[in-house]
Amino acid sequence: MGLNLPQILGQLEKMSAALAEQQAALRRLLPAARKAFEHAASLTFEELDAQVKRAGDRYRGARPTEEPLLAVFEPPPLDAGLVVAGADGSQIYPDRHAPALYFAVQVGGLAMEIGSGLPPQVRTQSQLYYQQEDLHDQQGYPIGNAMVNGRRDAQEMKALADWAGTYAGRPLVALLDNGLLLWFALQVREQNQKDVDLILQAYLGNLDRLRDSGGCVAGFIDRPRSADVLALAHLATLPPSGVSDEALRVNPFRALTDRALFEELLQPGQRSACFIDSSPLNEDFRKKHHEVLFFYLKTDSRGTIARVEVPAWVAKDTALLGCVHAAILDQCRSTGGFPYVLVRAHELAVITNEDRQQLEGLIQQRLLESGLGARPSQKATTKRWTRSRRKHRL
Amino acid sequence: MTSDDKAIGRVTRCSTRGFVGAVRLPEPEWPVFGTFCRAEAQQGHSQVIGLIYDLSIEDDELARQLAATESLSPEQLADSQVNRQVPVEYRALAVGYRHGERFVQSLPPQPPLTLAPIHRLSDADVRKFTAQLDFLKLVIAVQEIPVDDLLAAALQTAAAARPESERRAYLVEAAAECARLVGRDLTRLESLVRSLRP
Repeated sequence: MGLNLPQILGQLEKMSAALAEQQAALRRLLPAARKAFEHAASLTFEELDAQVKRAGDRYRGARPTEEPLLAVFEPPPLDAGLVVAGADGSQIYPDRHAPALYFAVQVGGLAMEIGSGLPPQVRTQSQLYYQQEDLHDQQGYPIGNAMVNGRRDAQEMKALADWAGTYAGRPLVALLDNGLLLWFALQVREQNQKDVDLILQAYLGNLDRLRDSGGCVAGFIDRPRSADVLALAHLATLPPSGVSDEALRVNPFRALTDRALFEELLQPGQRSACFIDSSPLNEDFRKKHHEVLFFYLKTDSRGTIARVEVPAWVAKDTALLGCVHAAILDQCRSTGGFPYVLVRAHELAVITNEDRQQLEGLIQQRLLESGLGARPSQKATTKRWTRSRRKHRL
Repeated sequence: MTSDDKAIGRVTRCSTRGFVGAVRLPEPEWPVFGTFCRAEAQQGHSQVIGLIYDLSIEDDELARQLAATESLSPEQLADSQVNRQVPVEYRALAVGYRHGERFVQSLPPQPPLTLAPIHRLSDADVRKFTAQLDFLKLVIAVQEIPVDDLLAAALQTAAAARPESERRAYLVEAAAECARLVGRDLTRLESLVRSLRP
């Protein structure tokens, strides 16, 4: 039985009405949010920084840099001879109903020499994980999807560092289809400190390689939902004596996103000021000199806003930051506001359901040839029976 | 693995009259109009011999987006033309089948299996299969395809699979067979013979 459309259609009408009402409510909030942000911008860096320090570890929002909050920056010209690389990953999660317990990660990437007229170099790296130590965490429990995501993210960064090595000494911007912070670490660190640290150190090591090769790196987040800058705007409205858990929690702009704010403030091609991500995870990055900063960028004339994350060594070097800014805009021109190299990296990386079925057929065949019984669970088999139900064509 | 052994796609739809193959390959590896190919049938007991007569590129949203943009860079154009594996679909007319070592030039007893791999016919097999010209009748009988162009392309492929010294004689023999089959339509015959000139 497919989706019960007659039942869903009635709910869709209510859904669209509710969403329209939500949108209207958010639009009403925006002027106040903008006013709060302008107030924050009127404070000196020292005043704002002192307020952030007053909030301490309770505060989850952006921290200011020395760039004025309301500043906007035009893109510099694109460097001749620039190389732009992109990487993206895909995975098959471990499935106890599959013919064998395993997981797979595939990372695709390409590097394009701007102005050369040459086709980009492309690479795809696929890896199967099937050893007991791959499939179980340090406490002996089967690993979850978050750990697989962590491995994938680390391999994506390795792919970018490899490109930087290939083009060492040439100006290179490496783009990742995600933020730079390894969010999986926050999800599973408590249970898997050792495993998470291993992945994190490998990731940071590849950031070192990338920097040492002379390249720069940026994480590109399309349609960001974060409200870090709005949290800063709210914090700035509090009197110094009023900074408390309760006051931080009661943020009137919580339902808004930074995207809504910067849609109004930026013109096509402009970037915002840089801000520092205050996630506790950023402390690990800071210790290794890769503290993550971010800015917002209007990537096209339709008003698409992206969040771009860069390590401090990029953010603090005007030339490198300008290079990232110009390269992303150039990449977004033909693909409607999303970088071309990331579109292609995804295409190279993606593992489709058909790929997975083929792989599992091969696994089953090889295991049978080796005299090992291997078949999907009965539950998976019965799901396949019903999934392959024939439809009559008119 | 020789280039002849490499699959050029898999069967997606089929009937006794022919089959449709699909593949994602970069442009230099696409099959061409008039290529002889084979696909397994009858659980491996036979192979249907097909003659490729229609190639189409499936819908690809990225290609459409890039085609519509005014800002396509030379590197992006080169990427699309050289690196991207474009989904190609092609139709093959069944012109015979192979049973063991024997080629038969008539419609196959069964169509190929869905998802059966499709291979180019090797030069040796093209020579063997086209030694008889009975398959021409099967091509001429088909409606709604460019029969004359397909006949010319198939016979040129068959001639090219032979040593240079045999090609002219082969084409002359093929032209005579065509004259027998379409002799009532002299305009058509003249055009066909022209396209068979080496």
